[in-house]
Formats: sequence, structure tokens, C-alpha cells
Amino acid sequence: MGNVIEQIEQQIARLSTKAVKKNTGHIRTVADGVAKIDGLSEVMYNEMVQFPGGTIGIALNLEQDEVGCVVLGDVSQLKEGDEVTTTGKLLSVPVGKGLLGRVVDALGRPVDGKGPIEAAETYPVEKIAPGIMARKSVTQPLFTGIMAIDSMIPIGRGQRELIIGDRGTGKTTICIDTIINQARINKVGIASGNKDFRPVYSIYVAVGQKQSNVVRTLSALEAAGALEFTIIVAATAADNPANQYLAPFSGAAIGEWFMENGMDALIVYDDLSKHAVAYRQISLILKRPSGREAYPGDVFYLHSRLLERAARLDGKGSLTALPVIETQAGDVSAYIPTNVISITDGQIFLETDLFNQGIRPAVSVGLSVSRVGSAAQIKVTKQVGGKLKGELAQFRELAAFAQFGSDLDAKTKATLERGARIVELFKQPQLNPLAIEVQASILWALQKGYFDSIEVKNIVQAANSFREYLTARRDSLLTLIRTKAALAPEIETDLKAAADEWKATFAAKA
Amino acid sequence: MAADKKTKTLARQLFKLSIVDGRVSADQVSGVLGWIEKHPPRHPLALLQVYQHLIATELSRSQAIISHAGPLADGVVSRIEQSMTQKYRRPITASANRDSSLLAGIRVRVGDDVYESSVAGQLAALSA
Repeated sequence: MGNVIEQIEQQIARLSTKAVKKNTGHIRTVADGVAKIDGLSEVMYNEMVQFPGGTIGIALNLEQDEVGCVVLGDVSQLKEGDEVTTTGKLLSVPVGKGLLGRVVDALGRPVDGKGPIEAAETYPVEKIAPGIMARKSVTQPLFTGIMAIDSMIPIGRGQRELIIGDRGTGKTTICIDTIINQARINKVGIASGNKDFRPVYSIYVAVGQKQSNVVRTLSALEAAGALEFTIIVAATAADNPANQYLAPFSGAAIGEWFMENGMDALIVYDDLSKHAVAYRQISLILKRPSGREAYPGDVFYLHSRLLERAARLDGKGSLTALPVIETQAGDVSAYIPTNVISITDGQIFLETDLFNQGIRPAVSVGLSVSRVGSAAQIKVTKQVGGKLKGELAQFRELAAFAQFGSDLDAKTKATLERGARIVELFKQPQLNPLAIEVQASILWALQKGYFDSIEVKNIVQAANSFREYLTARRDSLLTLIRTKAALAPEIETDLKAAADEWKATFAAKA
Repeated sequence: MAADKKTKTLARQLFKLSIVDGRVSADQVSGVLGWIEKHPPRHPLALLQVYQHLIATELSRSQAIISHAGPLADGVVSRIEQSMTQKYRRPITASANRDSSLLAGIRVRVGDDVYESSVAGQLAALSA
């Protein structure tokens, strides 16, 4: 027994006797995930505060008499009069490659039951975006694997491209496809042993989504073998608004680590409409003045400071952002959609009508744009897809007129025929991104008229057949297109020979 | 009942009147209370609660409350009083009370600031 006492005494003796200064306060009220605190006279804006039981909060409102804190944990254990202490630290999350393949919450804590995360570093959740001089213009492509997007609305590394549309139009599918495509490219690139190859790591931030949806996304990524290059930050509908508000910023901090350390990352914010709603909820509870649609006055700054953190840095890496916005009845002129449209470098607009017609992905070519444009395209895509957007626009215009009359001249008929084939060719099943060399080959075949003699209803089948033919029999040609990234005359000759051979076999089968 | 904006503003004005030479004046406070009695405001209870809170907060800034587990050596209270007066650049009076939950060491509270040098505090820091 005496031995035990000695051990305790030794332990007590080892503890430092130096006094530690803490700034404290007491909970005055706690409701709806927000605590009003007396005291905390030295607390900083956005500082982490410690509640009893290890619960963390963030000081968001510094008022004359009290401090308004959002509680990032279980509020049921907190009561009036509980002591709260400042930590002197801004909210930070663990960062690094140790998070790859994991699902974390808004504070970077694992929620996938795979054990603790090994992360040597932490990054602050709120950080000023890189300045003008640190940035470099966007010139390197980031392939989504979706033909309609890669050929007409190219996305570059460091760009912010908004994905906008009504519910159930395939916004999340585009994001998941893009993540899967990055994983596929990473695997090919790493296997090639190319020293200059730069893998793209993905971060998927789920804000206010149903937990079942997050599980579905996780399963899709796992099944496609993309999870090893992906981090999921989940703040689901069951989480309190404070966590939903913080999750995109935590995801941005995780992405910034890759960017700052010379790597490329892609971040998907799914979705910022729900993020704005969570922020509105917090702001109203904190009694901040409300503005249009009851959103607080700084809701624009909320999204602009988040999206400005996506960049391509000079001499370092890049962070590409794909924010998602859900519209109501296709209204892109609502408050939050217009805000985010004006912040981003372009948008991919998904139309419900197209989706219902079976045109999937339901990309509206007229309303979608990439402000980076062809700067982020490789030469082969420019060569085969440069005129596509114009041709498709012409087709839509003529198709509207063609409904009123049957006598059409040969040129108009040809344009309509070509347009109908392009529309069919762009139909792509979900979770099936196409490699850029396959996309280029199919588009080249379209431009050279290989699909002209095939009935419109059989175009999807023909395109699949051509893709299978190329991957099974002409893999070396595809590798050549991928490595050269341009259609040199000798490659074009090989491609012509391949297309001729495929056409003969396809025609024979048909 | 929660105080409205006007009540809070009035309470703050009365609080300012209660401070003389940077300290709460007992005479001024009784003067203020007399004035409230003569001129009852719209929400007297809310006003008095806010006023009391402001006065209590101000008074706590001039008091060092020393919690200790074991016996305090002679002169410790006065030494703490002196050093706190020097640190905060305002006269601070200290008072001591026994708190066995600290296990060992002392804890000093001046307003919002807590100087933790107790075993209980350090164990709590270790477990966090």
C-alpha cells in the first residue's frame, strides 16, 4: 500500500508547479447549439473555447456584455453556470496523407471506425486565401472523364467550377465521376513510373446530406477503387448547424495542405446551398441582423472567402474546387446561386428537362461555361472538340425551327443529323468516366463522319463498341495519344486505320 | 425576464455613474438605487439585475479569490495581493478560502482570469 502512495506522490512531484493563466467565463444561456457566455474578456474572434467534458466551441460573437459561441459537440451535457475557458488557439484540423481513404467529421475526427488518424500537422480551418503574387494562371487540365464537360467546358487545376441544377439532376454524380476519374488517372500515372506525373487527391465535403447518401457515395468510391485517393469530410443533416457551417472550411484546410506541399487536390463542396442555410440558422440564433431571404449580410463573404482558397500556386501545387448549388425549379437567379455564380470561374448547369429526356449527364450547353476555356485543354481535345459547342448551339437553334416546317435544305438537314449524333454521343452512364484518349478518339471519329451512317438510336451502342475495340485491340495507340496529347499525322493515320477496321466489324454485326 | 436594449443601455449609464476614480463607490451606488426607487423605470427588475451584474463583474476585477487545499504560509495572501496589484495596475484585495477538491496547491481568480497551480487543475489538463 505504501508503495502505491509513494508512486502517487512521485507523480504529484513531477507535475509542474508553475501557475497557468486561463481566461474564463460562465454559461449564461445555452440553446440551439449556441451558448451565451459571461466573461471571456480576452477571447479572440474564431478562437476555440473549452466547455466542461471536453466539448469544443468557437467564439463567433464578441459583444459588450457576453460572448456568443457555437458548440461543436453534445450540448445536452452543458448547463447554466458551467465554466468555459479560452484555449488561445484557432480551430484547426489534422491534415496530411494519413487522412486519405478516411471519413472524418468537421473537426477532422475519424467517423469510419477505422481507428485513429496519423497526422503530424494541423492547419487552421479559417485562413486568408493566397494573395495575387502567389498565384499562377490555370493552364493544366483536370479531366472529369465526362465527354460533354472535358470537350466543351474544360476544367483546369486551380479553377472553381460551379455545378448547379435542381434536385435529382445528377450534380453529385458528376462530382463522384470526377473523383473516380482522378483515381483512375492516378493509378495509370503512378504505374507508368513517370517522374513528372502529379496525382490529384480528392476531398469530398458532404454538407447537410442524408447519412444514407454519404454511405452510398462512400460505397461507390470504394467499389471504384477511388477511396485510397479520397478524403470524405461529412457533416450530415444529423449534425448540428455549426458542424455543417465548418465542414467546407475544414475540407479546404485539408486541401490546402496538399496545395502548399506541391501536390494537386480537388475539393467538392456538396452542397453550398445547405451550407448557406446552416450559416443562416447560426446567424439568426446569434441574433445577427438578417438581410435578403433572412440570410446574414456576410453570406457572400462566407462563400467568397471559402472559394478563394482554391488556387494554383506558383512553384507549389493547386486546389481545384467544385462547389455544388441546388436550385429550386431551375431558378439560377436566386440569391445564393447568383452569389456563387459570380464567385466561381464558370458553371455547369444541369437541366431537369434534359435529364427527363434521358440525356445524361443533363448538361445544358447553352448555360454552361468555363471562364478558363481552352487554356486548360490539351491539344488533342482542342483538335477534336474545338467546334463542338458551336455545332451543338446551331443544332439547338435549327431544331427549334425545324419543328415548324418539313422542307429543309441539305445543309440544315446535315446540321440536324450531326447535332442529334453529338447529343447521343455525349450520353454517358454514371460511375463510368472515360479516359481523355478514348474521348478524343470517339470525337475524332465523329468529326470524320464515322458515325454519320449509323442510326441515331444506335449511336450510344456504336460509341461503346468503338471504345471497347480501342481498349481491347489498340491500347498502344491510346497510350500514344495520352502521352503525346496531340493528334500528329502518324497518330491520325493509325486512328483512321483503327476506325476503318472497327467500322467494318460494326457494320457486319449490325 | 430578459432585459431589452433600452434597459441595458440605462443600466450601463447608471453603472458608469457608480464608478469614481476607477473603483465602485458605495455612496454612488446607494445614490443610484435611491434614484431608481424614486423614478421607477419600465422594467425595474431587469434593470436592477443588469446593474447588479455589471457592479459584481467590476468588483470581481478588484478581488483576488485564493482557493487552497492545504494550509497557507504566513504572508502568502499579502504577497499575492501585492503582485496582483502590480500586475493589473489597480488596487486588488485578496481573500482566501479552503477547497479540498484542489488536492494540493492553490488557485487564484481575479475577474475572468484564473491562475491555476493546483494538482486538480493539472490533472484535468493532463486528462484533456
